[in-house]
Amino acid sequence: MPVTERDRLAAVGRAAGLRLASSDLDRLLPAWKRYIALVEELRAQVVPEPIHGDD
Amino acid sequence: MPMTAVARALRARALSPLELVDAYLARIDAAPELRAFITPPGAAARRQVQRAAERIARRETGALLGVPIAIKDLFATRGVRTTVGSKILRDWQPGADAAVVTRLRKAGAIVFGKTNLHEFAYGVSNANPWWGVARNPVDPRRSPGGSSGGSAIAVVAGMCAAALGSDTGGSIRIPAALCGCVGLKPTRGAVPLQGAFPLGWSLDHAGSLTRTVADASLLFQILSGRPAPSRVRTRGLRVGVVRGSITERIQPGVGARVEAAARGLRRAGLRVRDVTIPELDWTVATQLVTLRAEASAVHARWIRQRPRSYGTDVRVRLQLGALVSGVDYVVAQRARDRLRDALDRVFDAVDVLLLATTPITAPVIGERVVRWRAAEEPIDGALVRLTSPFNLSGLPALSVPCGEAGGLPVGVQVVGRWNDEPRVLAVGQVIEEFAQE
Repeated sequence: MPVTERDRLAAVGRAAGLRLASSDLDRLLPAWKRYIALVEELRAQVVPEPIHGDD
Repeated sequence: MPMTAVARALRARALSPLELVDAYLARIDAAPELRAFITPPGAAARRQVQRAAERIARRETGALLGVPIAIKDLFATRGVRTTVGSKILRDWQPGADAAVVTRLRKAGAIVFGKTNLHEFAYGVSNANPWWGVARNPVDPRRSPGGSSGGSAIAVVAGMCAAALGSDTGGSIRIPAALCGCVGLKPTRGAVPLQGAFPLGWSLDHAGSLTRTVADASLLFQILSGRPAPSRVRTRGLRVGVVRGSITERIQPGVGARVEAAARGLRRAGLRVRDVTIPELDWTVATQLVTLRAEASAVHARWIRQRPRSYGTDVRVRLQLGALVSGVDYVVAQRARDRLRDALDRVFDAVDVLLLATTPITAPVIGERVVRWRAAEEPIDGALVRLTSPFNLSGLPALSVPCGEAGGLPVGVQVVGRWNDEPRVLAVGQVIEEFAQE
């Protein structure tokens, strides 16, 4: 069975102790996707200084 | 009538506090559909008015003696229900006043009802599922903005002399801009937050919504405990008009008012130039991660144990925040440091920044997105885009009415260095003067 983004979100939610109903997942999924996209952009901007000799 | 004029008239006994309060109450009664208040002024306010009238008759003094100030319903008021706009706290009667309420009472002010807000202050539409959808007094089909929407309505509709608000991503300045009053978010920490229900610990600010900049200045003195500033000479001050991608998506009518404000300041002898701050482009993500994590920390127990006690939009935000990783939060704080550093550098070259408070005028209630030429943007995101950088940085920011676009109020924002409220207010006053011409 392929794991969908919705499945992954449900698992992350359970791990965080949330009680997510199916309707919660429907509403949360687009907000979660937008969040992930924004955070990835932010991570790309705030990169650490290069560390030499550790690769 | 502006708060400063009300205070003067009461002191001079040219105005009776009882008649004044009756006039405010009549306006509140006449516009229940605006949903300005969760708990309108009641018997306790009347008792305070009576006591104030006696003190005025005895020629006692107090900067705000007998002046009715409405309080956003997230500041604790002793013995008066404080709901924070929620169902969860619908019956909470605090045992003590918030520090800002104590300071107002010490100045002689009357605590004049508790105003409507977005549930737990966590949103900017002020469509509150438990206490009613607040409506813009200029056009009731439209949102007043939030989360201090009730306070802005009460000020603009003449239901009080001034009001308290709080601002975590723009919650004072946004409703001030959309409704047409002055909103001051002071420097972080200048006004105490003790007794204010938190939304985001590192982003929260307490401040005021008023009719005039002079009112904001007096309230800031009282709330911060700082002395009246010496007169600021505005001629020659350096103003940076914020340009770049963060200010590009803006309704033409709003943009025109910012340009008019820049021209007016130049005519008044200020030195106006353009500035760009590329780090502002990170604001949306930085604010999102920081606020989602912090708010969900505040609500950690309730969002897990009783999620159905929240309205839908706030529930989703809190659930999302519970999923923010520590790594993401740290990345956001690194970005926040860089934003602060960038703003510090800009303030080497200018004394204040000028930009729109919101890129749009008041949206129709229920509208979800704003359409720009190339893209759509969630309305909530658009409304905080230009205000939240100054929650992240903690710098003082003032929204001043600057005319209209399509018959709706437009606010422009003046931002200053840390603790430089005097300059911010002085430049705001210049804008206020020419905007009224």
